[in-house]
Amino acid sequence: MKKIDKAVADAYSREKNKYTIIYLCIWFSVSFGVVLFADSLQFEMPILGFPFHYFMGAQGAVVTFIILLFVNAKVSDHIDVKYGIDEGANEQISSGKTLDH
Amino acid sequence: MENSQFFVSLTLILITFGIYIGIAIYNKARQTSDFYVASRGVPPVFNGMAIGADWMSAASFIGMAGTVMLLGYDGLAYIMGWTGGYLLLTFLLAPQLRKYGRYTVPEFIGDRYNSHTARVIAAICTIIISFTYSVGQLSGSGVVIGRLLEVDARIGTMIGVVLIAFYAAFGGMKGITWTQVAQYIILIIAYLIPVIFMSLQITNSPLPWLSYGHVVSELGELDRQLGLSEYFAPFENGSRWQFIALMFTLMAGTAGLPHVIVRFYTVSTMKAARWSGAWALLFIGILYLSAPAYAAFSRFILMTNVAGQPIDTLPAWTETWINTNLLQIADENGDGILQWTEIMIANDIVVMATPEIANLGVFVIGLMAAGAMAAALSTAGGLMISISSSFAHDIYYRVLRPNATDARRLYVGRITIVSATILAGLVALNPPGAITQIVAWAFALASGTFFPALLLGVWWKRANGPGVISGMVVGLFVTLTYIFAAQYGGFTIAGIIDTGAGIFGATAAIITNIVVSLNTKAPSQKTQDEVKDLRYPEQMTYQDGDVWMK
Repeated sequence: MKKIDKAVADAYSREKNKYTIIYLCIWFSVSFGVVLFADSLQFEMPILGFPFHYFMGAQGAVVTFIILLFVNAKVSDHIDVKYGIDEGANEQISSGKTLDH
Repeated sequence: MENSQFFVSLTLILITFGIYIGIAIYNKARQTSDFYVASRGVPPVFNGMAIGADWMSAASFIGMAGTVMLLGYDGLAYIMGWTGGYLLLTFLLAPQLRKYGRYTVPEFIGDRYNSHTARVIAAICTIIISFTYSVGQLSGSGVVIGRLLEVDARIGTMIGVVLIAFYAAFGGMKGITWTQVAQYIILIIAYLIPVIFMSLQITNSPLPWLSYGHVVSELGELDRQLGLSEYFAPFENGSRWQFIALMFTLMAGTAGLPHVIVRFYTVSTMKAARWSGAWALLFIGILYLSAPAYAAFSRFILMTNVAGQPIDTLPAWTETWINTNLLQIADENGDGILQWTEIMIANDIVVMATPEIANLGVFVIGLMAAGAMAAALSTAGGLMISISSSFAHDIYYRVLRPNATDARRLYVGRITIVSATILAGLVALNPPGAITQIVAWAFALASGTFFPALLLGVWWKRANGPGVISGMVVGLFVTLTYIFAAQYGGFTIAGIIDTGAGIFGATAAIITNIVVSLNTKAPSQKTQDEVKDLRYPEQMTYQDGDVWMK
């Protein structure tokens, strides 16, 4: 066990939180945001033929959610590597840690 | 013809169940260690599929497309709500709960808040939520079995009760990830084939997702001609605030549902939890992106091929569905022609009836039945197991009889499964609402109780035992009261009906938890450190204000 500089540890959690907040803002705008203004977003989309508000509810929001989750997984991995986290060690530490009553 | 349909459907159901049981037995034989360890070796992709199978119940498979068809734009709250919740779960709860390392939600709440009372309340909430949810599943299996045997949906429900009690008592089958992977594959194939066939029939395109936009616009045109409001017109079936409240309820409920969260405890690390969440939503998304297409095609076929026909030459499918009591056709204006407005179709039969209406052949119809049974039975089985473990483990063993033997606990668990299934079946005989609506109540209860307890438990170290206890009790009370007042008393705020109750429950619970926590003693330093520790990956440990690396 070695101690990590306080500044480094704080930077880690700040960076993770920053991204989470960005993702949640996007999550909110494509779902709640579009619904709030649904009446004025009813124009028909070219090619796909949907009214836009309907497209966002039926497809746009869901696809955005999926993309955000994959981006989050990828970016979090990247941050972990940047701070020298080794997934192998994580696995070792967490296996058997789960309490079984 | 009718007889051959019955045999094809039954054979497909039996073959698919044979596959699930076969995989379960094969895996059981190979499995040497503990029940949960099996899924540890499963890569996130397949774990994602298993979560998908667990997640997609009768509500998603049988109920959702029908709900979207009947509610139009307003039904999309279900699509966004049941997918968007995975973001709350994967960003804010799942990896952190994985690091904390407990097997069930009551265990986490009991240990994090260091309170026996909180554990028991959480166990009771788990039972209430899972019970409500399973009423929806039983009512769904009633629709499928009723149609298959051409009997009233109520008799179908009773047969479903027997099947589910048997299935759940098998126990271990549920936890075997590979069985669920197989269930997912069958379920998604069964759902996609009719959508793709209908897309070919109507739009000549094999890709419904790209082609049905024009059908939606055309439906709006047909509605205008009939003098009805357009299919896609927003907030025709409820207020804007109802849409928002329902969507929030479903999202927060998703993040708080005990039987879904449990799946994330069994992955190997926090990283695996993030990837499992991403893959799970991808696999779930395939069905959720297809459901509105299913709805649009069904409505289009009903409006153009069925409506406008003489009432005395209706196809054979109408009669079998009228027998289940879920379809009503009446020539109200007596002109001998069936009009669109004279068809009364229940939400819950749209998905099952459409392949027949579109004439997709016995095989596709049989496959739908098999997929629907997989969805209803697998989820109901899992719910029954979570009810029985909450009672037998968290309440009976941890509180009532701490020195009960293993055999005794197993026995209590089995009795719980059987009685809970029968009780849920009795309620489902006369379903208090459509499948999606009943399931939405379960989500409202989860968002009023577990979502606040978990969110504050993970992200606010100051939250304490008294806070969570009063929060859960107030959240449960507010949600239940609102559901009953809205459903039976006609009480609403801003047009928000029963299904949106979770937004009030969650708000009340969060405020209560914060206010009570701040006015009572702070949790011990050890607990507070443990909460801060959840912000870091496994290799880092937070202790006394410093972070250590292993």
